[in-house]
Amino acid sequence: MTFDFSVIFLGRNLNFLLHGLSLTIVYSCAGFFLSLIIGTIIAFGQISRFAPLRWLSLFYLSWFRATPLLVQLFLLYYGLPIVFGIDTVAWFSGVIALGMYSGAYSSQIVRGAVQSIDRGQMEAGRSLGYSYMQTMVKIIVPQAILRMLAPLTNEFISLTKNSSLLSTITVVELFRQANILIADTYRTLEFLLAVSMMYYILNNVIGALGIYLEKRFRTGGELQ
Amino acid sequence: MIKISKVNKSFGQHHVLKDIDLEIGRGKVVVIIGPSGSGKSTLLRCINYLEEYEDGEITIEGDPIGRRAANGKSAPMPQQELNRMRQEVGMVFQAFNLFPHKTVLQNITMAPIDLKGMSRAEADVLGRSLLKKVGLSEKEQVLPYSLSGGQKQRVAIARALAMQPKIMLFDEPTSSLDPEMVGEVLQVMRALAEEGMTMAIVTHEMRFAREVADTIVVLDAGRIIEQGPPEKIFTQPDHPRTLEFLAKVLQAN
Repeated sequence: MTFDFSVIFLGRNLNFLLHGLSLTIVYSCAGFFLSLIIGTIIAFGQISRFAPLRWLSLFYLSWFRATPLLVQLFLLYYGLPIVFGIDTVAWFSGVIALGMYSGAYSSQIVRGAVQSIDRGQMEAGRSLGYSYMQTMVKIIVPQAILRMLAPLTNEFISLTKNSSLLSTITVVELFRQANILIADTYRTLEFLLAVSMMYYILNNVIGALGIYLEKRFRTGGELQ
Repeated sequence: MIKISKVNKSFGQHHVLKDIDLEIGRGKVVVIIGPSGSGKSTLLRCINYLEEYEDGEITIEGDPIGRRAANGKSAPMPQQELNRMRQEVGMVFQAFNLFPHKTVLQNITMAPIDLKGMSRAEADVLGRSLLKKVGLSEKEQVLPYSLSGGQKQRVAIARALAMQPKIMLFDEPTSSLDPEMVGEVLQVMRALAEEGMTMAIVTHEMRFAREVADTIVVLDAGRIIEQGPPEKIFTQPDHPRTLEFLAKVLQAN
């Protein structure tokens, strides 16, 4: 068997792929943004003093962590129109599903980091006269962010890879573009390797960004 | 000035503070001593309601903190009021609890800026004067991790003083320090006492207690078994448990 990678650069093929890549980036960023918001809400819900909030958060976590993303994606894309008669746009359903799924994981990252901060920090804040909320925002969370960075980088990368599943509900993104080109040219491995490379580079840029941010947030007390 | 009356506190089944009555006059230094597990730290932490006692009342210049009597029953006060009252009570912890992500100066200035609406410039002036007072002017721009234990504790004292509290609480402030650093922290506390700061201190430094305290309070199994001037407590205590405790501590020293 022979490889002919020139097919990638033939005509507008590369542009076609890069367009897919740019949409993958947009959907992943949007999904991750949503994931962070949901993750924060669920994390604080889980440690809330208010029992119904704790139950709700646990229910959310148990559902979105214990069912496959692909199933959630189909449920959202096909389910909403059937049950509620809502006309769903594929990419929108896709981003929501990515964010909700990943949010379950993010919530545990946020909660773990917040709860790992010494309770003496909360006591010091409260003893100065800060409210619980102020202490969280000004003292606890800024320290917790450093501890979230490594696992959140993982989560972002994981979400970016999972975004390829959006191709199954007709969303235009990198993997779908590759499949279209494969169907056109029958050059299966060439295009699969090309998109692998694109995912690889994109995700390692995210990885490097994570390490850069960790360096910036260091307070000197960390194990080296 | 501080009046503690009939305070009771339990951790589950364990009744740790039993009918505590105590008064601390303005400008007075009260040192609380007693065997480990007697409730010293818990009592101190009740004064700013970090420890939520179930019954009784604590007032600062007549204003209740933490709980308030309503319809003859003691009930927790609204959080907002509690936060405001806490501004008047400075606290120094055994573990320092400095904010590691803030510089030394920011550790001191952030609360006055956030809670008292002080301008950054004003707060910096205040912060620098407090750093000078605790002898750490040259450290204002560093992060806490680079400080020694004694330096951390002095910054923590400056941080608490920045809110211009009416009383300062010290919860075993030298217990986690290397012996050669204990002196520098006690020196700062001594100076504070001489300036007339009202202070409540839990400590195992008996020589310091004897020298600085106006009143020594002896706690045993959640009860105040006796209180009085240091000369009396250290030379002729009334209670056999006090004698026993002092013998043990002084022997160890």
